[in-house]
Amino acid sequence: MAMLEVSNINVSYGNVQALWDVSIHVEEGKIVALLGANGAGKTTLLNTMTGMLKPTSGEVTFKGERIDNLPSDKIIEKGIAYLPEGGRLFPEMTIKENLEMGAYPSTLWKNRKPDLERIYGMFPILDERRSQLSRTMSGGERQMLAMGRALMSNPTMCFFDELSYGLSPKMAQEVFKIVKQLHSEGITVLLVEQNVYQTLEIADYAYVIENGRIVKEGEGHAMLEDDYIKQAYLGV
Amino acid sequence: MTLFISILINGCVLGSVYALVAMGLNTQYGVARILNIAHGEFIILAAFITLDLVTKNHTAPFVGFAVAIPVVFVISFALHRTLYKRVKDISANDGAFEGNAILAAFGIYFIVQNLMQTHWGSATAAYQFMPYSVKIGPADISAGNLVVLLIAVLICIAYNLFLSQTRLGKAIRAAAQDPAAAAMLGVRINTIMALCFAIGGVLAACAGVLISMKEPFTSISGLGYTTIAIIIVVLGGLGSVKGAILGGFILGYVGFAVSVYDSGFMLSVFYLIVLVLLIVRPKGLMGR
Ligand SMILES: Nc1ncnc2c1ncn2[C@@H]1O[C@H](COP(=O)(O)OP(=O)(O)OP(=O)(O)O)[C@@H](O)[C@H]1O
Ligand SMILES: [Mg+2]
Repeated sequence: MAMLEVSNINVSYGNVQALWDVSIHVEEGKIVALLGANGAGKTTLLNTMTGMLKPTSGEVTFKGERIDNLPSDKIIEKGIAYLPEGGRLFPEMTIKENLEMGAYPSTLWKNRKPDLERIYGMFPILDERRSQLSRTMSGGERQMLAMGRALMSNPTMCFFDELSYGLSPKMAQEVFKIVKQLHSEGITVLLVEQNVYQTLEIADYAYVIENGRIVKEGEGHAMLEDDYIKQAYLGV
Repeated sequence: MTLFISILINGCVLGSVYALVAMGLNTQYGVARILNIAHGEFIILAAFITLDLVTKNHTAPFVGFAVAIPVVFVISFALHRTLYKRVKDISANDGAFEGNAILAAFGIYFIVQNLMQTHWGSATAAYQFMPYSVKIGPADISAGNLVVLLIAVLICIAYNLFLSQTRLGKAIRAAAQDPAAAAMLGVRINTIMALCFAIGGVLAACAGVLISMKEPFTSISGLGYTTIAIIIVVLGGLGSVKGAILGGFILGYVGFAVSVYDSGFMLSVFYLIVLVLLIVRPKGLMGR
């Protein structure tokens, strides 16, 4: 039984269908990658798994429980954290307030003080500037804050949408290092990435999505050797 | 000197009430995206409720808060859950919703104003509240006005503490800045929007009780306050609560100073200020 199981979901925006019969499963403790071109449906899939979109058919289960009909605060309380594309920080709120919003669901809010300290310990750069407005931070610092905010809920599983997008190679390295560290602590990670090579290097398993359909899946390292992946995504 | 102190204090009184009115409008627009043309009607409704309590039930005007706040809160919340939810459902996108919501608010404006006119008539309404003055330096300042100032400032402070310190207040600010991101973190965005619309109504109700204490009003005075609130919100910056307070005090001072000369010029001067500001700083004093 996989920790997260997506079975045959179909998702539409109005009359336009964006996901077709998509199934994926994520085993506990693994890093799983979701790859695909712009507009393939990666973000749509993440939004469906976090309760932002309702599938027209199919189901999503987490630790054996159905979550596709739950509101997002309940899904977060079950242990899923979501770092949306672009970070989506609150520009006019301080670092501390942005972090607190990561513990917004009521059962987490009560416990937010120790969680704040834990995140400050993990990201010292945030600790130094608790009362700085997030809009005044650099791109790299912002992504640290977005990760910290996602981790405030003490998740057992994280969805990261395009973590390395727009970061310098050095900063991207840094971010991937944190993902590996989370993995070593037993946190399950679902990574959506454009940075295919670096992602497949750390992923245990990967799915490729094209035009709303899963077209390929396999072990991370095997995917690196795959002719189709090499041609379509690695440009060799 | 006497005139200077009088303008200094009475401008402050007017400004504090304007700040409340504008904060309410801004809370409704900033999160729920409804430019509430009927805002002023709820100010006047609260003023009439207070008037009835004082003249018919012989209570202190402060009791107006205890009655008007829940009444306006419930009406506003219910309006958002029914009328504005329906408007949202039939609007193709956010832009269309903002336009349709203004039209719906106009409807509410006419209905509430007509009901008030039917019930309370069109005559000027007023009651006496602390009708004596205190000497501040050489100037005689109305004691009632000082109490109004004190209460308005306390409400402004309390509302800002609510926004900056409480879980709900932070959710409201987050929803104003990025509703989709707030929803992803578990904020129930539809509830927050209805609450913000109702909280905006509560601020209007508070302003209404205070206005009844300090000046006469009629069943058609509401639109004047809505207009001033819109001017302040444009002046201070859309969605900025601090901008609403700053803008409120600026218009309060300017308004009082002009009214010493001739109150007929007040609105024209306000429009002039906004016109200049829109040329110099189109996003408002505190806007981004
Ligand atoms: N809110 C929306 N309304 C209508 N269509 C949408 C909406 N969001 C996404 N789509 C469409 O759904 C499809 C999948 O979009 P999605 O954002 O999931 O792609 P993606 O794989 O995340 O792409 P990217 O790499 O650019 O982020 C696209 O064709 C897109 O135009
Ligand atoms: Mg995407």
